[in-house]
Amino acid sequence: MQWQVLRMEVMMKSRKLLWIVAGTAIILFALLNVFRKGEAETPRAAVAGSVAIDSAKCIASAAFMRANHMQVLYEWRNSSVRTGNRVHIASNGSKFEKSLNTCLGCHSNNRLFCFNCHSYANVKPKCWNCHLSPMETP
Amino acid sequence: MMNEERREFIKKTALGVLVGLGTVSGIVPAFSLEKTVLPLWDEKPVPGKIRWGMLIDTRKCKEGCQQCAAACHHAHNVPDFRNKKDEIKWIWQNPYQKVFPTASQQFVSKEIQDRSFLALCNHCVDSPCTKACPTEATFKRWDGIVAMDYHRCIGCRFCMAACPYGSRSFNWQDPRTAIHDPVTTYPTREQGVVEKCNFCSDRLVKGQQPACTEACPEQALTFGDLNDPRSDIRQLLETNETMQRKPELGTKPSVFYII
Repeated sequence: MQWQVLRMEVMMKSRKLLWIVAGTAIILFALLNVFRKGEAETPRAAVAGSVAIDSAKCIASAAFMRANHMQVLYEWRNSSVRTGNRVHIASNGSKFEKSLNTCLGCHSNNRLFCFNCHSYANVKPKCWNCHLSPMETP
Repeated sequence: MMNEERREFIKKTALGVLVGLGTVSGIVPAFSLEKTVLPLWDEKPVPGKIRWGMLIDTRKCKEGCQQCAAACHHAHNVPDFRNKKDEIKWIWQNPYQKVFPTASQQFVSKEIQDRSFLALCNHCVDSPCTKACPTEATFKRWDGIVAMDYHRCIGCRFCMAACPYGSRSFNWQDPRTAIHDPVTTYPTREQGVVEKCNFCSDRLVKGQQPACTEACPEQALTFGDLNDPRSDIRQLLETNETMQRKPELGTKPSVFYII
């Protein structure tokens, strides 16, 4: 009986040691791997950004656009010209190219689209000094 | 005794499960406990990742051929006032001593003296024009292009004074009066702003080559990423003797020449 207990104790000790060694090795391995950068997920450079542009609908409601189109266009021009972020994501998730052409793609069928309101409100934006206005588009 | 063992067993199992989870999350990216969703940045540019550059093989450049300049000026609504004083140019031709005024010119061969060389904005790494601009209307883009934000240009012409290559032109008059064949795909400029080559950033976003590169019938122009050692332009730079315009100024031009 005595020797049996002794043998059991020795076995328990060696098994514990095995556990500790194996556990430490696994933890070390895991720690090293958790902070590794995933090679498969390197960021792509936005060179040829072929974004599926959804131009079948407006980017926001008419009421919102009537009140805020100047802020939207200001943000668009700064981010597309200066930071190169040319993709607008609307609140419903659809994507648009940040360009006056996105608006005029549909709205140029009304030649007075911009001018009616601007002349009523007596504002003179400088967009058409360089960009093609709906009045000039063929 | 039995209870003691049971307790130990449960403890060790729990520890084992924890360690196992940690290992799996580290090894298999899909199970990461804490991961960055990189596709979120897909549409945003990575600064310094790309440096666009051009290599001009002047040996292939045919005398009298103006197709690159014509294509560029047409694609970007560059006005033609037919008058040297008001001239607007994005890409143009000049003789050797005008393009490389500081290169060794003693006893240059007659053939080189007679040949004309293409000149355009060099899209310098250390661009003097962007440092001179008081409104940051001209600035270095993330991809090495020296870009113009015409919305912000106040027409002070500091950049023209700063550019050592004469790559910038000023609109003394309304350019719209002098665009003979306008395109609707690119805006014009207005009176009182400076303009220059944009390395076709408008075409690059569509995945196209610059207009001049595409128009050249001899494929004398090579456009590509100078930061990519496997790109065509880097291969050509490695296998040919090339030169830049006024390299001693330290502007580090991105346009290279094979003479």
